[in-house]
Amino acid sequence: MIDFNLLVCSMPALLRGLLVTLKIAALGCTIGMSLGTLLGILQALGPRIGRWIVTLYVTLIRGTPMLIQIICVFYVLPQFGIRIPTFWAATLAIGLNSAAYISQVIRSGIASVSRGQIEAARVLGLSNGTIIYLIILPQAVRAVLPALGNEFITLVKDSSLASTIGVAELSKEGSLIRSRTLDAFTVFFGVALLYLIVTTALSLCVAYLERKMNPDAQN
Amino acid sequence: MLKIDNICKKFGSKIVLNQVSLSVKKGEIAVLLGSSGVGKSTLLRVLSDLDHADSGVIYYNNKKLDPATMHKQHLVGMVFQQFNLFEHLNVEKNITLALEKVVGKNAQEASAIAHQLLAQYGLADKAQARINQLSGGQKQRLAIARSLALKPEILCLDEPTSALDPLLTMHVGNTITQLAREGYIVLVATHDTALLDTLDCTIYLMEQGAIIQTTRNADFKAHPDQYPLIAKFVWGTIA
Repeated sequence: MIDFNLLVCSMPALLRGLLVTLKIAALGCTIGMSLGTLLGILQALGPRIGRWIVTLYVTLIRGTPMLIQIICVFYVLPQFGIRIPTFWAATLAIGLNSAAYISQVIRSGIASVSRGQIEAARVLGLSNGTIIYLIILPQAVRAVLPALGNEFITLVKDSSLASTIGVAELSKEGSLIRSRTLDAFTVFFGVALLYLIVTTALSLCVAYLERKMNPDAQN
Repeated sequence: MLKIDNICKKFGSKIVLNQVSLSVKKGEIAVLLGSSGVGKSTLLRVLSDLDHADSGVIYYNNKKLDPATMHKQHLVGMVFQQFNLFEHLNVEKNITLALEKVVGKNAQEASAIAHQLLAQYGLADKAQARINQLSGGQKQRLAIARSLALKPEILCLDEPTSALDPLLTMHVGNTITQLAREGYIVLVATHDTALLDTLDCTIYLMEQGAIIQTTRNADFKAHPDQYPLIAKFVWGTIA
C-alpha cells in the first residue's frame, strides 16, 4: 500500500530532483532543437556532403543506447582532456541524442512544404536565409508539432538516465529515498506521479500550440 | 526588348529546349502554345532563373542577363501554375514580405503598396484572409499582384488558366491584356486555346522543345490556312 506520510515527507527531495530533471530537459531540449533544426535543414536542403554527415550522425546516435552515449560523454571526453560536470555531461548527451531525432522530424516537415513556394520566394529575390526562416521553418514546424511534442516528452522521461552518472534528478532522488526507507512502491509512485504531471502539462502545451498554429484544424 | 537567343536545355538525355529563340517588345504578349511537356514552362523557368540553360543567351534591352544578379534586379516576375502562394501568411503578407525583406520598404510603405495592388485586383476586402479561404480566381489574382509588387518589367505566367472556369479564363485574358497595355513584357505558357482567343499576342507553337511555328494571333485568325500546325493544335484539324 502507498504510505502517504512517507510520500508527503519525500516530496521536498523529489521536487528538488524534479527541478533538476526540468533543467536537464529544458537545456537538452534547447540543444536538441537548435542542433536538430540545423541538421534537419542541412539534410533537407544542404549539399550532398552535408547530407552524408547528418546521415552518419543520425545512424550513430539512433543505433546506440542513450545510456552508452551519456557514459561516453562523461567517461570518454576526460580521456581527451575535456572534463565536464555530471549535470552538463548528461544534459549534453541528452541534447545531442535528441538532436538526431529532431533533425529527422524537421527534415520531414521541410519535405512537406511545397517546392513551389520556395521557387516563388526565390523569384521574388528572397535570400536563402529568409526563405528558410520565414517560409520553410514556420510551415515545417507547424506540420511536425505533434511529433516534436512526442520528442520533448520522451526527452523528459529519458532524463532519468542522467542518474547513472550520479546526477541527482528525480529518479535518483527516488532511488536514494527508497534505499533509506525500503518502500519502493510509495517512493516510485510519487516519482511516476511527478513525471506524469510534467508530461501531461507538456502534452497540453503542445496541444494548445497546435490549435494556435493551425486555426483551421478541427478540435 | 527581351531577346531569347538559341536557348538549349537537356534533362539527362532528354532535350527539353532545342535552340529556342524569340523576341518580345515592351507592351507585347508572347504566348508559348503547346501540349504538356513540350518545354513551355521550362523556358519560363530558364527566364526566371529557376533552371539554367545549357547554352544560349538572354538579352534585355541589348544587355546580356546575368543569372547571378537577376533576382536582385526584380526584372522578371513569375506567376506559377499552382500559384505557389505562401500558405502560412495572410493575403497582405504574401505581398509585403518581399517588399520588406528584398526592397527594404518599411511595414507601412509595404502595406500601402499591398493595399493598392489588392484594390486593383479586386481583393481589397481579403487583405487579412488566409490563403485557403480564397477561391481559385482570387488566388490567381493574388499571385499576379504579388509578382507585380516588385515592379518587374517582364512577367511570366505559367498555365494561368489551368485551374479556372471559362468565365475566369476570360477575366485572366483581360488582365493579361491590361498588363501589356501598362507596358509589361508578358510571356504566357499555355495549352488553353480559350485563353489564346482572348489575347492580342504573338503565338509561338512549341513541340519537342522547339518553336515550330509562329505568327501574330490576328494573322492566324485572318489566315488560318497559312498556319496549319497552329490550326491543328487549336482546332484539332488542319484548316
